[in-house]
Amino acid sequence: MVQSVKRKQGWHLLQCLGKVFSWRASLSWVLEGLGGEANLKPENVEIHIIDDNFFLKWNSSSESVRNVTFSADYQILGTDNWKKLPGCQNTTSTNCNFSSVELKNVFEKIELRIRAEEGNNTSIWYEVEPFVPFLEAQIGPPDVHLEAEDKAIILSISPPGTEDSIMWATDRLNFRYSVVIWKNSSSLEERTETVFPEDKIYKLSPEITYCLKVKAELPLQSRVGYYSPVYCINTTERHNVPSPENIQINADNQVFVLKWDYPYENTTFRAQWLRAFFKKIPGKHSGKWKQILNCENVTTTRCVFPRNAFPSGIYYVRVQASNGNGTSFWSEEKKFYIEMKTVIFPPVISLKSITDDSLHVSVGASEESENTSVNQLYPLIYEVIFWENTSNAERKVLEKRTEFTFLDLKPLTVYCVKARALIENDRRNKSSSFSDTVCEKTKPGDTSKTWLKAGICTALFSIPVVIYVVRLFLRCVNYVFFPSSKPPSSVDEYFSDQPLKNLLLSTSEEQTERCFIIENASIITEIEETNEIDEVHKKYNSQTSQDSGNYSNEDENSGSKISEEFLQQDSV
Amino acid sequence: MGLFITGILSLDCNLLNVRLRRVTWQNLRLLRRMNNSFPIECLQESKAFELPQEILSHSQPLKRNIKEAFYKMSRQAFHIFTQDTFKPTWEETHLSQVQVGLDHQLREAPLSAGEETLRSSSPPAGNLELRRYFNRIDRFLKDKKRSPCAWEIVRMEIRRCFYFFQKLTALLRRR
Repeated sequence: MVQSVKRKQGWHLLQCLGKVFSWRASLSWVLEGLGGEANLKPENVEIHIIDDNFFLKWNSSSESVRNVTFSADYQILGTDNWKKLPGCQNTTSTNCNFSSVELKNVFEKIELRIRAEEGNNTSIWYEVEPFVPFLEAQIGPPDVHLEAEDKAIILSISPPGTEDSIMWATDRLNFRYSVVIWKNSSSLEERTETVFPEDKIYKLSPEITYCLKVKAELPLQSRVGYYSPVYCINTTERHNVPSPENIQINADNQVFVLKWDYPYENTTFRAQWLRAFFKKIPGKHSGKWKQILNCENVTTTRCVFPRNAFPSGIYYVRVQASNGNGTSFWSEEKKFYIEMKTVIFPPVISLKSITDDSLHVSVGASEESENTSVNQLYPLIYEVIFWENTSNAERKVLEKRTEFTFLDLKPLTVYCVKARALIENDRRNKSSSFSDTVCEKTKPGDTSKTWLKAGICTALFSIPVVIYVVRLFLRCVNYVFFPSSKPPSSVDEYFSDQPLKNLLLSTSEEQTERCFIIENASIITEIEETNEIDEVHKKYNSQTSQDSGNYSNEDENSGSKISEEFLQQDSV
Repeated sequence: MGLFITGILSLDCNLLNVRLRRVTWQNLRLLRRMNNSFPIECLQESKAFELPQEILSHSQPLKRNIKEAFYKMSRQAFHIFTQDTFKPTWEETHLSQVQVGLDHQLREAPLSAGEETLRSSSPPAGNLELRRYFNRIDRFLKDKKRSPCAWEIVRMEIRRCFYFFQKLTALLRRR
């Protein structure tokens, strides 16, 4: 009894288990999408994003259409907050449009999940690989507006997406547009051009239907968009007033000369300019074209305007003609690079020899180039050519500095230098003409140095000799001019009346007086009191004695020595 | 005796070539001069835009990344200051000077980065960081309906951005 019950229980258990397993098997079978009774899981789920439009597409794993609905959720990767995806709730079709999701940030990774529902049964979530909407987005077709002239079509292209586009908010100005244009009659003659958002297609024929389509690209991301629909437009008939052609701009000292061609006389012209970057900005900027002041209502096919009207940059220039019959269309817009038209003046070099084996070079700007914008904005580098005057071997150096030195040169040799100025890193390789050639000789070398040293040594040695000779000479002089003996005071008086006469030179009474008087202060005062004749002399002498006391005393001493000798000689 | 010339300069393009640096400093000055001082009432509206300094943390090729980042940054700054829906309280002349200056900077930057490198690179992670940063600025302007205060704050932010790049490249140049 018990055994049968047990067996029954076991059997029930087995049945139970069997059912569970079979149910699970069938469920998993279903889940693997091999068809069946239960809910279907969506498969091959794909995301399509075009501009700000978000689409979700998938396949249903069952062939037959059943009462199956699909719902999707989304969340920002990392958060744990699944939100319902708008536009994709309980949908019976196998695609949905969730553009109304207001993604704050298209640069963040988003997670999506979708499941199928039928009645009360729901499948498991199919989770889509997380993605960054910006990187998945495709560039949609741009919006194009056309206007026809006789030989050109004016294009007005709006970037893909709306003005408030979230997807392209940071890229609106980065789009490049590519136009394919052909004549409606023969699609074989196609032309492809890259255009700005506001641009013109030239070189067309009047009264012909042209068709075109435009696509936008983001070249830096290697992304290409879809083509716009085809637009066709007729060019107008030939205008009775033709547009000026062949615009040229040349620089000439401090002015620019604008020239163009025109077949007829009696026409007035006006010219306008625009900063080139405005063409990159979508939207009508016809108001941004400005009149060139010296080129309004001119009757010749040229006009001249000052250089400083256009600080450096890139510009477009266009010219329009008008006569009695009307006003022409604007000419082709000519691009005008200020930098290419600037003139770089040759530098001014000075060369100096410092030592016997080096030359110092100084490069300066010429006076004319002092104030030009070239110097201020564009740092100049110098191509310096350097050679020995006698040889032809030239050495070329590129120098950024304005003061530099050439080393290891030969002494007493003439070297020559010339240089020209370049704009650093300039792709157009613009350079000035060469400066004047400047030559300089290096200083004398080592052999001369030794001569110099020898000279110095001899000079040093000869100094004592010289001093001795000078002293000898001075002794002679002193002997001649200033006798050494000091006669007694009575003799002084005697001699003051009869001035001592030297054999060599007759001294003036004045000098003799000076000797005596200065020697003794007391004598001075005595003589001053007594001698009338000598008053003038005394005064003079006393003054001189005060002025040049030292000198006189010394002279007196040496003079006295000499006179002593003389007296001795005399006595002998 | 051979000739030995000192100071032979190689024309290797520096991280930001001299011209680009000069133009960027000029633009910084122009941006500063647009308004004499930052209006105090706008201080409370200021927002941290979190300039992505992680650009520093990227390893090789660091120089190329910096050059590309500088180009992209110049482009975004240019976009900000050339929007049509522009109604700031700045003077027309100042604004147009800034526009011209930024355009110049934009024209110089690819020459420094090398256009080939710009085109061939697939966007690395650093690229998205910069985009997110400028997206924050753009959204800030839209949310504040492009009020004068919003523009002032954005001007300050762009100055900060340029300054950061100039200093960064100066630092790398010295290495």
